[in-house]
Amino acid sequence: MSTTIKIKHLNQYYGRKQALKDVSLTIRTGMFGLLGRNGAGKTTLMKVIATLLPKSEGTVSVCGRSTQSAGEVRKIVGYLPQEFSMYPNMTVYEAMDYLGVLSGLGKAERRERIKELLERVNLTDDRRKKVKALSGGMKRRLGIAQAILHDPKVLIVDEPTAGLDPEERVRFRNLLCEIAEDRIVILSTHIVGDIEATCEDIAVLDEGSVIYQGTVPDLVSMTEGKVYSAQISKRELELLKKDYIVTSMLTLGNNVMARFLAEEKPFSSAKLCEAGVEDAYMYLMHMERGIPE
Amino acid sequence: MFGRLFVKECKQTVKSLVYWVIVLILIFDFTSQLGDTEIARKPEPGQEEYGYKSSHDPELIMKSVLGELTEEYYRESYTTYPIGFYKNVTLNEEDDRRIAGILKEAAGIDGREAAGQMVEDWYALQQETGTLGAAGEEIHREPLKVDPAEGLTYERFGELMDEADEILGGGSDYCKEYRENSAKVAMTYEDALEEYKTLTEKDRLTGGYARLFSDYMVIFLGILPVFLSVTRGLRDRRAMMQELIYTRRCSSFTIVVSRYLAMTVMLVLPVLIISLVPYLNCVEYAQRAQISIDNLAFVKYTFGWLFPTIMVVTAAGMFLTELTDTAVAVLVQGAWWFVTVFGGIGRLGGGMYGWSLAPRHNTELNWQGFHDGFAQLAANRLFYTAAALILTGLSVLVYSQKRKGRLKIRGKILANRKSKSEA
Repeated sequence: MSTTIKIKHLNQYYGRKQALKDVSLTIRTGMFGLLGRNGAGKTTLMKVIATLLPKSEGTVSVCGRSTQSAGEVRKIVGYLPQEFSMYPNMTVYEAMDYLGVLSGLGKAERRERIKELLERVNLTDDRRKKVKALSGGMKRRLGIAQAILHDPKVLIVDEPTAGLDPEERVRFRNLLCEIAEDRIVILSTHIVGDIEATCEDIAVLDEGSVIYQGTVPDLVSMTEGKVYSAQISKRELELLKKDYIVTSMLTLGNNVMARFLAEEKPFSSAKLCEAGVEDAYMYLMHMERGIPE
Repeated sequence: MFGRLFVKECKQTVKSLVYWVIVLILIFDFTSQLGDTEIARKPEPGQEEYGYKSSHDPELIMKSVLGELTEEYYRESYTTYPIGFYKNVTLNEEDDRRIAGILKEAAGIDGREAAGQMVEDWYALQQETGTLGAAGEEIHREPLKVDPAEGLTYERFGELMDEADEILGGGSDYCKEYRENSAKVAMTYEDALEEYKTLTEKDRLTGGYARLFSDYMVIFLGILPVFLSVTRGLRDRRAMMQELIYTRRCSSFTIVVSRYLAMTVMLVLPVLIISLVPYLNCVEYAQRAQISIDNLAFVKYTFGWLFPTIMVVTAAGMFLTELTDTAVAVLVQGAWWFVTVFGGIGRLGGGMYGWSLAPRHNTELNWQGFHDGFAQLAANRLFYTAAALILTGLSVLVYSQKRKGRLKIRGKILANRKSKSEA
């Protein structure tokens, strides 16, 4: 069986609004990041892959199965939506067991898988807790556990780290990386740090179009020699913002340490820096919309 | 997978607060209406009264029907049951004149004033004889009887009443089916003994009481199941579980039908348990009176009479909730129930079941009426069973479309409301 997701010329419409424009992607085993601002079309794309939305035009095949055969695709896909919960009055174990039945798992198999997964997401001690009593981070971990309950070949997670504290976020990313060892994990996010820490292959979506597909190092290499930093006054910062893409700022008394993108060294005090994913992402987004003149 | 899911859904139902409220209402319904019902004793000679029975005496039928027509004509309001449902009819001037003409020919009553005089006289007489209380509340109403016009044959009477029924749109008290059952006369000891024998021999006691039990339970079962199906339907959305469930391999048929079956089974279960009380009363009486009973009568009536109502109300609630993702089914079912309950008022005695969602038979007696109306009742119950199955099938269809991202009616309703409020 194929272990890739192939999307060809996918167009998606909501009434007259086009949410996805001629999207073509090939996604292989491992972590795949979908990056883009809110409303870029990431959730729409993930819902099409998860058979929650019928595609308008194009073809989508998940491990050799067309999304038109929704039942076949659902057997091999696990999904963690952006906004989710479970029946609040069920215990963690009951909720998992219910979804296990819906996934077609037998009693013994459910018992074994739930035990194993709760251990993996560190919720074994909370298995008798009601879902409504879980913290945001615990709910997210439970979300991952339910999504891989039936051992899917593809795991789709939509904005999974939103609202998590830094420690939970790191733990969650590590968990996703472990899961991605033997399956496709598609991680959708607008948080560049999540992608940087977990994904090798990524696609960047903007207004429904794929504006980049490749590896993270290749994306970063686009901005090599173009990232500078300089300590400037607050008044000079306004002028800098007009001419360059400022990717970060650190206030130092009356001055500011600014990090910005420029095609060539803009002034003598500017120092060339090592490019990061965030710089590359900002560069890419502004390339699409035009660098400030 | 179906069986496992069915058990899970039953457990979810048992843990639902709405379910236990429904159970409590059913228990309240039973205890308040039937809790102190005594099993009918064998009539003894010399009793003060033995109740009433229908009469097929043409003279009496004419008097009763004309009394009813006089009263309704005077009040300018007619009760009808076209296709089995209650309808209040108010006539236009032309039709009102036609009814006046019929009343004049049939009873010699000329105009509304004359009709009013007769109704007022009858009302005053009722108060004098103590059949109406001081505040006008009914103690034991002796219906208004109006003598037919001199020389009116029963055949001509029938023609006139058919015409009146046609003017009223059908299903009125003047159609052949109803008018022939309109006359009531006091029963004699022999009549009462005959009725008791019918109850204990033909109905084997439990048959009559199972009908009476069904009569009271069907009223609440015509509305309560909708609350269960609506809360179940909305639970996934409220718990943000929809997408988690939609992406599972389980088929839409298995999900929807297992839920439906769990709800209907869990609703019929308390009814069966409650029915043990009247059943045990019957058993006790039968042992003392040395009569044989039908031990399965309550089970038969629960599934034959009540279950189709549970099925269709649950299915209608489920379908509308799946379709709209709102609680609109409660309003729809509330309206349907209201019409049904009012529609049943004129048919409490049984035998005239029509197409009512909640067929009534408010007596342990009237086996003959049940027997005569059985074909209609069976058609009624089969119709609602079929309707329930169709609605369940449609729910499966709607659910499977929603899983594929289609039929987002709730989104459209909200968008429409939003755009209107913005405008």
